[in-house]
Formats: sequence, structure tokens, C-alpha cells
Amino acid sequence: MKVALLSESPADEAVLRVLVDAILGEPAQITEAGFRARGWPNVLQVLPAVIRHLHFNTDVDTLVVTCDSDDSPVHTQAHEAPQYYHPHCRMCQLRAVFRQTSKRFPTAHGRLKLRRVVGVAVPALEAWLLCGRDNDISEDAWINGQQTGRLPFTRAELKFRIYQTERPSLPHEIECALRETERHRRDLRRLEYDFPGFAALMKDLKSPLPL
Amino acid sequence: MIDTVVFHNFKALRNTSLRLSLFNLVIGPNGSGKTSLIQALQQLRTLSQFPLGNAAMHTRSGGPEISFTFTPPYSSVVARLGCASDLACDFMHVDSLDTAAWFEVKSRLSTMRSYVLDHDAMAQSSARVDSATLATNGGNLAAVLAARRRDAPAAFTRLEAELLRLLPEFTGIVLEEESDGRVRFSLGIAGAGEPVRAQNLSQGVFYLLGLLVLSFDPTPPAVVCIEEIDRGIHPRMLREIRDVLYRLSYPSSFGEKREPVQVIATTHSPYMLDQFRDHPEEVVITQKIGHEARFERLSDRADLPELLREGTLGDMWFSGILGGVPEER
Repeated sequence: MKVALLSESPADEAVLRVLVDAILGEPAQITEAGFRARGWPNVLQVLPAVIRHLHFNTDVDTLVVTCDSDDSPVHTQAHEAPQYYHPHCRMCQLRAVFRQTSKRFPTAHGRLKLRRVVGVAVPALEAWLLCGRDNDISEDAWINGQQTGRLPFTRAELKFRIYQTERPSLPHEIECALRETERHRRDLRRLEYDFPGFAALMKDLKSPLPL
Repeated sequence: MIDTVVFHNFKALRNTSLRLSLFNLVIGPNGSGKTSLIQALQQLRTLSQFPLGNAAMHTRSGGPEISFTFTPPYSSVVARLGCASDLACDFMHVDSLDTAAWFEVKSRLSTMRSYVLDHDAMAQSSARVDSATLATNGGNLAAVLAARRRDAPAAFTRLEAELLRLLPEFTGIVLEEESDGRVRFSLGIAGAGEPVRAQNLSQGVFYLLGLLVLSFDPTPPAVVCIEEIDRGIHPRMLREIRDVLYRLSYPSSFGEKREPVQVIATTHSPYMLDQFRDHPEEVVITQKIGHEARFERLSDRADLPELLREGTLGDMWFSGILGGVPEER
């Protein structure tokens, strides 16, 4: 499997590289230079071009995309209904971009389209990193907070809990992120259970290649 | 260190004030007061080192005036500059009952440095004796590096390690002290026999080296002003540049045990602005309307969270929604 990554930062990309291998149970061929977006909604803006580039110019068969979702509706089971599309849900939006961009692709490099793999970290990737270490942190806790108007934690608090500073250097951020990811690499079940936005990424990655 | 600056008739800053944070990224169109802010700080530094005048001499009818207040424990000190023209402030008066506080402020102000780095100047050899602090244009870079290696080897080693992490094609800083008393530098390069002489390095390498010299200074100034911090740097490297400067202002976040440095930096890069999404309180926007300019803090925008759902900070700035864009006729 040849995999390309589109993420929001070098630290996110470092985490994704480990998680992709852990999900597949073997090292994937991940392209050396990851694609990068400058946060939301830039992910949405660059994604069609990345999909087209990979389809026509490379033999990559899988594109993994992740983004944070701290100020948008969380993707729920209701969004999975056939023909359902929530205009503000980031998972729905990213999947729609894949669908629309690839709709009329001709066969290239022996495949009709890329395998779509989308993960949405609620509210930020740091929540995935803290999963299993801090029992108060889960997608459910965030959804409850959105419903009651009292969010249980902020992005800044999550970052501080991981990095012990509001302004980590990039090497420190990557080091801390990889340390936490190492826990998940050994057993992904808690992350899969507590974060449906990660479970969706797992499911996509394990799905068969599109014909 | 410096808490507020109040401008009256100083260049385009006719009637505006700015509360400074520990770290300040100033953005805005050309001629909107970014450099004037830094010039005002330089004037403060210069005049603070002379004997004080008396208050009666201070006020010239309609002449430019700039006032400064300071953060605790120096909040009792107010320094007022009077200027003969936009270009020459020639008088300073200090309101303070606490003489000891003023002398402490004065001592700290004497260390203030401003930088407009110039890669051509930085590529030149420099006199070994000219090594106390990095010159305004970085022209004594080689001598400063040599002095750092000699006098603060641990700091030099950390600087070099950071350079090699950021630019992994290089293997080390090579310093040559010539018999004529001048110092030259080059960078060792992986897989090549000869190091790359300074004259053959790219502009971005010089600017990065200059910022690293400041960031890893074991005894840094109290205040540092740097113009165009993004110059010559690839957009994907801007996060690292931000961190290099954060090291000055937030030393404990980087494992450093020293006093924080107040940083005033300018940029015209939307990509650099993107790096401050989580800290809008550190961003100052200069707004220019006609011949008059004023300062605004990005964090004062009540609708900022909503704006960030629609686009990045850089996109919002470029679009004009945040202001701080050139007037078009």
C-alpha cells in the first residue's frame, strides 16, 4: 500500500505515520514529503488539488487526511445515513470533496480513484494523544459540552496538558506526541472506542482499494 | 519591560497608543508606523543614556511627543520624549519618585537592540574585536560567532545544533581567524570536501543564523526589535522562526533559565501571521487611514473566533477583514 498524508502540522504528520502503520499492522509505504495545509479551512481548499495530483501524477493508492474540529459540529452516526450531508461537519465536508473531485476521474496508474481515508480529531489531535491517560477526555465529553454550552476543556488546555507549556518548540511537540502515540500503537482499542473520528480513519484505511 | 507607548504627532502616528506584550508581532501596510514604533524605542534607548532635562522644556506646541510606561516593578516610571522633528527626538523627561527604579530601567534600556539584517553585510569578514553584540545589520556575524564559541562554548554548541537541525544539509560552523585580525565563517556541508564560504550561502541562511545568534545569546538584551522576520525563509519554516523568537520571550518553555526578552517583530507575510492563531494577543495591526496611523490588538476583535472558521488568519488579513492593508485608489 502506497500512502500519502495531508495534515495540519509536522507533529500531526509524525503521529499519523505511526498510527497508519499500527492500524495496518505492518509498515506502509508512506511518501516522504507529507502534504500540508494551514489549518481549517485550508485543508478543504487544497484537498481537491492534492487528490488530482496523486491520482494523475503518482502511483499512490491511499490518501490519509486529518484535521481538528474544535468549532464545528461533531460527526455522529446520524451523518452516516445514505445521502446525508451536514454542511458544517468536517468529516462530511472532506468526504464530499473526495467524492466530487474523483467523480469523473479516468483510470490512471491502474486505479480508478484513491482510497479515501479521513480522520477528524475532536477537538484537536492532542485529545487523541491524551486518550487513555486522562479519562475525562473523549469525543462524548466534547459533544456533551457542546450541548450544555460548557465545554469540558479547550484546545489550549489540551496542548498544555501534553506539552506543559502553551508554546512548545516543534521538536518538543513531536517528542511528546510520539511518546503518547507509542501507547496507542501497542493497543488502538481505547482510541477507537473513545474517538469515533479516529475509528472512521481506521475503518477507511482497512477498507478494500476502490475498483 | 515596556508597558505602553503613547504617540502624539510622531510621523504617521498622530494620536495613538500601544500596550506592548512580552512578544509582539506587528503587521500592517507600508508606511503605517511599524518602523516608526521601533524608531521610537531606539530614541528612548538613546536619550535614556543622557542626563535628564526638566519638564518645562518638554512641551513644544504641536511638536512630536512620545510617552512610555513600564511594567512592574517599574510602573512608577513614565518617560516622555520631546522631538524637534519627526526624525529627531532631542529631549527626555522622566516622571518618577523612585530614582532607583529609573536607574534600573535606564540600565535595561541600554541593552535594547534593533535589527534590520542585511545578508550582504553578514557575508563579509569582520574585525575580531567587533564582537560584543550583533550589529544592527548583522555585519559582524562572523566575529560574534567566534566570540560566542570562545566565551560561551555551551551556548555556541546549542546554537550550532539548532542550525544543523533546521538546515540538515550542513554539518557545522567553520570559523577562521585571519592574521589581519578579521574573522570569516563558512558552513560545512554533508558529502562535500570544502565548506561553503559565507559569500556563497543563501540569504535565508544568513537571516536564520542572525536570529539564532540572538535567540541563543546567554546574556540577551532586555528588548529586541527585528524587522521582517520572515525574510528569505520558506513558508514551511516559519513555525521554526516563530519558535526561535519565542525562545527569547518565553525562555522557560524552552528549558532556559534567564529573564524573558521583550520582542517587537514585524512581518508582511500572511503565512507568518498564521503561526499566531493560538495567540492573537501577540499580534498588533497597524491601520493607516490617509496620513494617520493607529495600532490595534488582534485579540480585541470580538468576532475573531467566527472569522477563523471561515479562513486562516493570513487569509483574513490579506482579504482586508482585519484591516492593516494598503489603501488603493
